[in-house]
Amino acid sequence: MISTASAVIGSRVSVGHRMLALTWLISPLLLLATWALVAASGHYSAQLLIPPADVWHTFKDLLHSGELLEGAAFSLRRLASGFVLGASGGLLFGAALALSKTVEVYCAPMFHVLRQVPSIALIPMFILVFGVEETFKVLLVTKAVFFPVALATSEGIKAIPRSHFEVARLYRLPRYSLLLDVVFPAAAPPILTGLRVGLTRAWMVLVAAELLAADSGLGQMIEMGRQMMRIDVVMVGVITIGLIGFVLDSSLRLLERRLFRWKAIKE
Amino acid sequence: MNASLDQRWLASTSHSPGALQIRELSKHYLLDGQPMEVLKGIDLRVKPGEFVSIVGASGCGKSSLLRLIAGLESDYSGDMQLDGKAITTTSLERGIVFQDHRLFPWKTVAQNIAIALKRSPLTRQEKALRVAEHIRLVNLQGFENAYPHQLSGGMAQRAAIARALITQPKLLLLDEPFGALDALTRISMQRELQRIWVQHRSTMIMVTHDVEEALYLGDRVIVMDARPGRIKYEIDVDLPHPRERHAPRLQELKEILLTELAGSDADK
Repeated sequence: MISTASAVIGSRVSVGHRMLALTWLISPLLLLATWALVAASGHYSAQLLIPPADVWHTFKDLLHSGELLEGAAFSLRRLASGFVLGASGGLLFGAALALSKTVEVYCAPMFHVLRQVPSIALIPMFILVFGVEETFKVLLVTKAVFFPVALATSEGIKAIPRSHFEVARLYRLPRYSLLLDVVFPAAAPPILTGLRVGLTRAWMVLVAAELLAADSGLGQMIEMGRQMMRIDVVMVGVITIGLIGFVLDSSLRLLERRLFRWKAIKE
Repeated sequence: MNASLDQRWLASTSHSPGALQIRELSKHYLLDGQPMEVLKGIDLRVKPGEFVSIVGASGCGKSSLLRLIAGLESDYSGDMQLDGKAITTTSLERGIVFQDHRLFPWKTVAQNIAIALKRSPLTRQEKALRVAEHIRLVNLQGFENAYPHQLSGGMAQRAAIARALITQPKLLLLDEPFGALDALTRISMQRELQRIWVQHRSTMIMVTHDVEEALYLGDRVIVMDARPGRIKYEIDVDLPHPRERHAPRLQELKEILLTELAGSDADK
């Protein structure tokens, strides 16, 4: 009796769990259904509101022709170079801003003004100065990553309790060890949040830049689709961009969870 | 365990005790632009290997005194010397254990203890060996790879004590080290500390609120008074270590100390 009862409860729990694991599917499915219904109603021209099935076909075509992967590869390469530059620059500058009074006095006001300028607002100037080639796009990504990372690093380091620094002083830790053993690990959680924010913003501004001036990349694919009235291509581009952004952010979140196992798990 | 290992263990966990001499030590802070005297005219001599307890009402500057001796605060008047050397900043010759364990949450127990050896010329293996010895000294075997949040308060404090002792300081300062622990853990930690001290006879100064703790561990108990912080009274605890917690002599001394402390409260 007891074993049957517990088996029933067990199966109910596992069914519940499986249901819970799939609930996230409800909203995209609803969206897809609404889209299909509205498209089928004939209210809008089929050239403007493409039915989901057609977009799916275009997606497969673009995938097989290699066009989609090529575009994504170009975009991701720009993102990667800009991200590495911006993140390392932001990390160093943020640490200097938090740890050195001199750097703070000289650079803090300018830094806080510049970080208010939206990356998109810099596109025209960057094009004038650097031309429409790769440099301008990579630098735009660098800028988009640099500021959130620098801000998170400097605020994160400033928030480190004084007691940690006292322990470092008591054991007379050399400077490199102060940075590697105390400062960066202590500030790592906010820094990683800054990296996530930076990555998301960089991805957005990169696509915008590619829409305006590019001969390759996902943004350019969308722009070409628009010019040729291929809204299906536009939609494939839009969805791919969203998915890539999601995957990038999720992988950083996964990294977050792996890195910060030392934190107490609050349930 | 063979003899040579035993000897090495003793050699590397033993401490050569230091003599502390403090003369006319005063310290003030600025509070809203007004100077506030925290310590005034402190004179204190601690013999090598002596255990001195300091008790007093909160605000009597006893923690400030320890921070000054540790070298965490500069800007004082007077004279402080350890073995004839003036105290100007922090040094590995002076260890300190705080009420909060102050372990780095992102490091394991072993890594936290090892960080105290960053400046040590020992090889990697020697360091690992010494960390293991000190983990044994504070009875934390099996928890080398645990993170601080996985430890109980008492265990975290043991790790903090191991970290403070691993540099073989001449003087160990203890700032209410068991103040945050529950009563039972506290008693067992006091016994542990007594064992460690008897084993090594390093010079120790402990600040505490707990009169019983002060008497149980101290060769001498110093009562401090507040505003400005100064030494009011001193009592020798003429009992050999290790001690029996309920020794009648300790009870007598406790009565005397409590009267002294009540007196300093009534002054306010």
